[in-house]
Amino acid sequence: MFAALEFPSIENLVEWPAFFGDGTFYAFNKIALISMLAVIIPTALFLLAKKEMVPRGVQNIVEGTVEFVEKQVVLSAIGPEGLKYTPLILTIFLFVFFGNIFEVIPTFQMPANARMANPLILAVVAWVSFVTIGIKSQGFAGFMKSSLFPPGVPKALYILVTPIEFLSTFLLRPFGLAVRLFANMLAGHILLVTFGVLCITLATASPLAAILPFSYAMLVGLTGFEVMVSLIQAFVFSLLTAVYIQLSLHAH
Amino acid sequence: MLAQTLMLRLAEEGGELGDHVVEEAANPILPTVPELFWGAIAFATLFALVKFVLLPPVQKTMQDRANLVRSDLDAADAARSQAGSAASDVSDQLADVRAEATQIIDAARAEAEADRARIIGAAEDEIAAARSEAEAEIAGAREAAMAGVGPSVAGLAADAASRVMNRTVDVSAAQPVVDRFLNSSN
Repeated sequence: MFAALEFPSIENLVEWPAFFGDGTFYAFNKIALISMLAVIIPTALFLLAKKEMVPRGVQNIVEGTVEFVEKQVVLSAIGPEGLKYTPLILTIFLFVFFGNIFEVIPTFQMPANARMANPLILAVVAWVSFVTIGIKSQGFAGFMKSSLFPPGVPKALYILVTPIEFLSTFLLRPFGLAVRLFANMLAGHILLVTFGVLCITLATASPLAAILPFSYAMLVGLTGFEVMVSLIQAFVFSLLTAVYIQLSLHAH
Repeated sequence: MLAQTLMLRLAEEGGELGDHVVEEAANPILPTVPELFWGAIAFATLFALVKFVLLPPVQKTMQDRANLVRSDLDAADAARSQAGSAASDVSDQLADVRAEATQIIDAARAEAEADRARIIGAAEDEIAAARSEAEAEIAGAREAAMAGVGPSVAGLAADAASRVMNRTVDVSAAQPVVDRFLNSSN
């Protein structure tokens, strides 16, 4: 009875053939296309938004997004001095969100961030940003001292604490950012595929067709859930980047 | 040496099996160079666009709106303050007008009271004069009536007394008694 249920291998779920340039460093596949659309769509939205005193339509969406990032991410995590980093944080937010949301868009149904490349790039950007900002605002020695030698710790314990702080600040922060985004989106993608495959299989297996509505309801519910996850992951990634920048701005 | 021999033998036995031994399957979790390449280009492009092209006009519009709202609020506050001051002026003027009206009403009331007292006094004087005149007339008329009635009453009284006493009573003798009686009855 369950012979019809053949779950695809993980390679089939996340690896896509190239549209062109196969075998080269510029091979352009679905993930690359989604990455490009994550540039084109926000650009189009910003360009379509009119600049009127009473906002309507697209202008509401664009200004709402900018205001959300400014108030809920930049100002809440860094404060007024962080407003100069709004372009960076907004870019991260938009790139993550539009990279994620293709998970629920028919014909695509694949989040770009379920592949490790984009989360890794974003994590490197965040890492470079908070290290550069930290060195710029505190100086190299000051930044290293505040990052590796937390105040209030007995000097003897620095032998133990400093390596931990080094790992935590310079390796685990970017690694955590990348893996959190990648793992969440991959897990969501696998969940949707699982229920999709289950629905198809149940539709062809007549004795079990009775539970098809439940499986279908789960698929619909999880699709809505993944829309929320896409937004939350964009918010979390941009917020953590802002928090790391704030921690680099001043000695603690 | 042994591994080399084994691989050579496998290669001789069949190409497919040999390929499986030599090639290694890609890890689906690890990032690929093309995806890193396109992802980096996409992110850098979006960042440049957001920083230099897309965000500044949106922020300017939002700032202009915030300034407009702030200036409108300031203007509304000024207008409210001005309206409060005007209302206060109107209230003061109303109070003045009310005080003036009260004064006018009091003056009119006092004047009316004086007029009333004067008119009533004049009327009372007139009535008193009329009453005195009437009393004088009544007194005159009574005296005239008494003067006319006295001789007749004396005659009648003398006649009645003559009949009662069976002797003649002189009217002239009865006249003083009758006069005294009539005068005492007033």
